[in-house]
Amino acid sequence: MLEHAAPELFNGLILGAFYAVVAIGLSLIMNLTGTVNMAHGSFLTLGGYLAFTLVAHGTSFWFALIIAPLLTVAVGILVERTMMVPLYRRDPVYSLLLTFGLSLIAEEAYRLIWGSRGVPFSPPADLAGGVTLGFMQFPTFRLFIVGVLAVALGLLALFLSRTRFGLRLRAAVQDTEMIAALGTNTQILYMVNFALGIFLAGLAGVLAAVMFQLSPTTGNQLLMPAFVTVIVGGMGSLYGAIAGGVLIGLAISLTTLYIPAASEVAMYVLMAIVLLVRPRGLFGEEGIFG
Amino acid sequence: MQGPSLRRDRFIQGAAAGAAAAAFGVPAFIPRRGEAADVIMIGVTEPYSGVYAAYGESETRGAQAAVDAWNKKGGVLGRQVKMAKEDEQSDPGIGVQKARKLVNQDKCVALMGTVSSAVSLSISGAANALGVPFIDSGGHTDDVTGKDCKWNTFRVCHSTWMETHATGATLAKKFGKKWYLITPDYAFGHSLSAGYRDVAQKLGATIVHEDLTPLGTTDFSPYLTKVLPAKPDVLLILPQGDDFINCVKQANQFGILKRIPAGGPQVELEAVWALPPEARVGFWGVEWYYKGASVLGNNAAGAKWVADYRKKYGTPPTARSFFGYTAMDRLLWGISEAKSTDPVKIARALEGTHFTSPLVAGTLFFRKEDHQMMWPMWTAEIRAKGTPEDKYDVFNIIDREPALAIEQTVAEKAKVCKMNYPS
Repeated sequence: MLEHAAPELFNGLILGAFYAVVAIGLSLIMNLTGTVNMAHGSFLTLGGYLAFTLVAHGTSFWFALIIAPLLTVAVGILVERTMMVPLYRRDPVYSLLLTFGLSLIAEEAYRLIWGSRGVPFSPPADLAGGVTLGFMQFPTFRLFIVGVLAVALGLLALFLSRTRFGLRLRAAVQDTEMIAALGTNTQILYMVNFALGIFLAGLAGVLAAVMFQLSPTTGNQLLMPAFVTVIVGGMGSLYGAIAGGVLIGLAISLTTLYIPAASEVAMYVLMAIVLLVRPRGLFGEEGIFG
Repeated sequence: MQGPSLRRDRFIQGAAAGAAAAAFGVPAFIPRRGEAADVIMIGVTEPYSGVYAAYGESETRGAQAAVDAWNKKGGVLGRQVKMAKEDEQSDPGIGVQKARKLVNQDKCVALMGTVSSAVSLSISGAANALGVPFIDSGGHTDDVTGKDCKWNTFRVCHSTWMETHATGATLAKKFGKKWYLITPDYAFGHSLSAGYRDVAQKLGATIVHEDLTPLGTTDFSPYLTKVLPAKPDVLLILPQGDDFINCVKQANQFGILKRIPAGGPQVELEAVWALPPEARVGFWGVEWYYKGASVLGNNAAGAKWVADYRKKYGTPPTARSFFGYTAMDRLLWGISEAKSTDPVKIARALEGTHFTSPLVAGTLFFRKEDHQMMWPMWTAEIRAKGTPEDKYDVFNIIDREPALAIEQTVAEKAKVCKMNYPS
């Protein structure tokens, strides 16, 4: 049994990286604007479909990997500016209902545009093979995913901690009114913050479309673990989301390996334990919420 | 925090509300007025969202073709036929709600549909309580025409017993007798597993390992990494829908498909078309195909039906389209034969009556004792890129297995299936 654990640890890490990236997007948006974005998974799916469409029209995978998330961001900004802004000052339930509705509309829209049948999406030839690890072959694409997600998270961390804009974003999370009074245009902060979250969702979408399958429901299947990741890792913390994602990824893949029947509940059990022992989440900053 | 505030408890409440809303689904947002006197309503429950959405769509298209054909001939009992469709979301509980709504509110006189076996069973029970005929078009688990058989329930697609017994012997002969099973963890998978265990016992094959995977699994890697070390002769992949795509696609990514052969009881065109060519391999059970004399026979009506469907939707009809068509066509035939919408009369008209279909060579019938449609199954190898003339033509049909050779006998079924007609 133990010889399977090594690849499983790595698989857990990859799953965790996916959850972390989606969770960070959720968390960014939640922290600054109090919006629970139930449509986050739809943006992930959109990223996948846009990349698929680009590649089907002859562009290279590498081009699609960057451009599809950017196009997703464009759609995201449109949604944010026209629909979400008016709800920012209201009870979070309003934006939750709005985004939940949007996710249903999006799923149907994808079905109309790309069909309810999944579409085939392969990795580029350079990444299609595998790396031999002893008795088994590990897909190169999975290694690539970890690399891409690590770079994306690293850049995000640098942006938030080293740039003036990033510092303003973090300050706005602490006290939006004060930073507005000091002359910062908070609307631009909101917009860029939302765009960052959506970019990560779009990027994860392209990778998920290749690794898993691409159908109208792809993103929503990753959304619930991402919510759990936010709760486990703690709201308001980038590192919390990473730690939460990795923990949940590992919990899922190791329970699948040893007690398959428990794999579905593993993450909820983990969440329950964390909530009991440390209600604000592993790295949650107390005081941010309420 | 100033301005918008979100407390943890509010967030958790909100997330719970969202999850609950997701579980209950969207209400049909166009209200209907109930049955108009001159229209016969048939309720169609299919998964239009979730892992089986593509299959639900194909079954509906097939059913629509049958309705159109009957209406063109003047309808049934002199009345036009209308379908009322509901999304059962592959959820047994929602399926029951939708079945009740279709019968009580939309005044449907009969129900058809379903893909997930769990929903077939729940709607079969609900239809029995409501006293309407139900044709299970696409849920395969044995129990529908086995221990949970009902006088009002009929099934078009093959039972899991038929699927496993049509494929097991060939799999053993072709690849060997050490089998590794990846099985979806609900009614459908459980009865497939039982079927393969029966075949294995008869052939002296062994199941070296079996993993049960939850419906809706996205990452199959924890299961797949165990396959090669177990050194099976063949990997049997039992999940369907999006789960099938995820599993086969990832088995390919892990290099498993290059090292050991893969196959299984059932492969569907919708799923194979969604796979990249490099992952399209294996030896599988096929329930219906839009090409080939061994399936369609040589009749012009069948070829025209296929061509019309293809023209309308852009892709060829699949086994699911056939299920939907046949379920609807037989229901309407039953009503017209019974000259009434009385459920018992319809059921009596359907059971045991032999009929021909433009889409399958030979005669078919719903067996009187268990209401399973008796018809052959086929096996096929996958042709990754289709043919030069037709990229959708991905099945190379190898063999045809007659129904009687692959389904349990009437005597075997009599032990589990007891049908009680209302007196």
